[in-house]
Amino acid sequence: MTAKQRYARAMDWLYIACIGVSGLALVAITFMIPTGVFMRYVMNDPLSWPEPASVVLMVMFSFIGGAAAFRANVHVAVMALKNAVGPGMRRRMNLAVYACVTAVALFMIYYGIQLCIITHRSTVAEFPDLSQAVVYSPIPIAGVFTLLFLIERLWVGEPPKTSIMFADQATEAS
Amino acid sequence: MEAWILLGTFIGLCALSVPIAYSLGLAAIAAALWTDIPLEAIMLKMSDGTDDFALLAIPFFVLAGGIMAEGGMALRLVNLARVFVGFIRGGLALVNVLASTLFGAISGSSVADTASIGSVMIPQMVRAGFPRVFATNVTICGSVQALLIPPSHNAVIYSLAAGGTISITSLFLAGIIPGLIFGGCLIGLVLLISHRRGYPKGEPVKLREIPRVVIDALWGLGTIIIIMGGILSGVFTPTESAAVACVYAFLVTFFVYGDYKMRELPKLVHRVVKTVTMVMMLIGFSVAFGYMMALLQVPAKVTALFLSVSDNKYVFLFLVNILLLILGTFMDLAPLLLICTPIFLPVIAKFGIDPVHFGMIMILNLGIGLITPPVGATLFVGCAVGKVTMEEVVKELWPFYLAMLCALALVTYIPALSLWIPGMMK
Repeated sequence: MTAKQRYARAMDWLYIACIGVSGLALVAITFMIPTGVFMRYVMNDPLSWPEPASVVLMVMFSFIGGAAAFRANVHVAVMALKNAVGPGMRRRMNLAVYACVTAVALFMIYYGIQLCIITHRSTVAEFPDLSQAVVYSPIPIAGVFTLLFLIERLWVGEPPKTSIMFADQATEAS
Repeated sequence: MEAWILLGTFIGLCALSVPIAYSLGLAAIAAALWTDIPLEAIMLKMSDGTDDFALLAIPFFVLAGGIMAEGGMALRLVNLARVFVGFIRGGLALVNVLASTLFGAISGSSVADTASIGSVMIPQMVRAGFPRVFATNVTICGSVQALLIPPSHNAVIYSLAAGGTISITSLFLAGIIPGLIFGGCLIGLVLLISHRRGYPKGEPVKLREIPRVVIDALWGLGTIIIIMGGILSGVFTPTESAAVACVYAFLVTFFVYGDYKMRELPKLVHRVVKTVTMVMMLIGFSVAFGYMMALLQVPAKVTALFLSVSDNKYVFLFLVNILLLILGTFMDLAPLLLICTPIFLPVIAKFGIDPVHFGMIMILNLGIGLITPPVGATLFVGCAVGKVTMEEVVKELWPFYLAMLCALALVTYIPALSLWIPGMMK
């Protein structure tokens, strides 16, 4: 197995981890909130944690899943001009896009870490042991993942259609 | 000058095909650097944008719609629609539109509607003698109703883009009549075309089968009762209702219908994560972009620009419709809602237009944009499901565009259509 193949395999695993973490967060929130409703109306014992816990999980879901969405190429973009130009110009436009994604990822890493540093002493009101830094840590982590996926695209190329990324599409088409 | 840096960077990056979420972020960063605003503020706004509890309604509605769509709901709604309109000329085309109306009350996504209803209805219509392109056109146009009929996650996005100042419940209620009018315009057109072209009548549903068909569909339609009943009675917030609807959809499709396999669930969650996180990133970056727009007084400048053209609100609404229809041909619904809403809100306040009414105008406009080339997610999915080319579809779409523009004109110029039900419920 070549270095490129090993890297692509590692990115497949990273992608699965991102989708797995985000998916589990989504499923957990889906059961947490009805639990809160059930406790409030049926048991007459309102819980204070489902809402803040859901928000914490949502930040993780949004950013970690957002990095996976970049690898899966599902972020919405305006392709009209790119589709109209020749292959040479398209290649140059692709490089410009990669430069922009790098800039955003670096912004998320640097300023995300700054945000975690600033907020590390404050805690989530309902969870006195949970630092705000933990809540915001998915932002720089997602920045790092986006960079790793970008390196894959530049070095190895687009993942093949057989990749695990497209495993959800069989059902979609049916 | 600063406003041009913000907007120019955004437009330039979009033209380069940089993902819209990243274009919004980079434009906000560029404008912040130009105006010496610390980038920490941009990061703070971005993180603020994704930790709002109301946001959670979006993944829940998408998930509930996905479970219902893949759990056999589309087929049952088609059967129910057949009871009402299946027996008249062009019956199957009418069934298609009506099934989309009902499905819209569950999914709120025109793409999901097209994929689900289309995969059931297009083959049936073709077998019955309808042209494949006509069947596809009816499906994609009918699916736009899903954006208006509650629960629509686009209404949630609009509310969030307005800074949470507009009630999601009011927006849900406001969408009922515009959604039905849209469906009515399409039904009128389909009836006309079917009679002129002699399309076949459908088979009436046997009397003894009707109770089973109705009960089967009612299980799924219970979702809308949970969502709207829960919200209106004050039992749930919109986010809670969406979460409860997810659990209900899961129980109905797994245990009542029994059409959904447990092994399909990870694939569905995978797809929902990909779709929704893209929207969440968009929302996060758009909050930062909106913050810079407000600092640079872009909405005030846009207001002054519109007032310089005309101070008549009907002229303004006409211009906005044209603008949104043009923008909708190039860009997707969610990003446009997130970008345009904060710009237009101060303008509509000047003209005395209700923001709930304006939300319906925006969603309908941008919904039509989903089926216009060159960029139209619903159009693309419809072509794939109908197995026709985009050129074939677009060539025969013009009467449908006319019908949709009629609906748009009614919704735009008769505010009571959007505001009557929310007003009654206050």
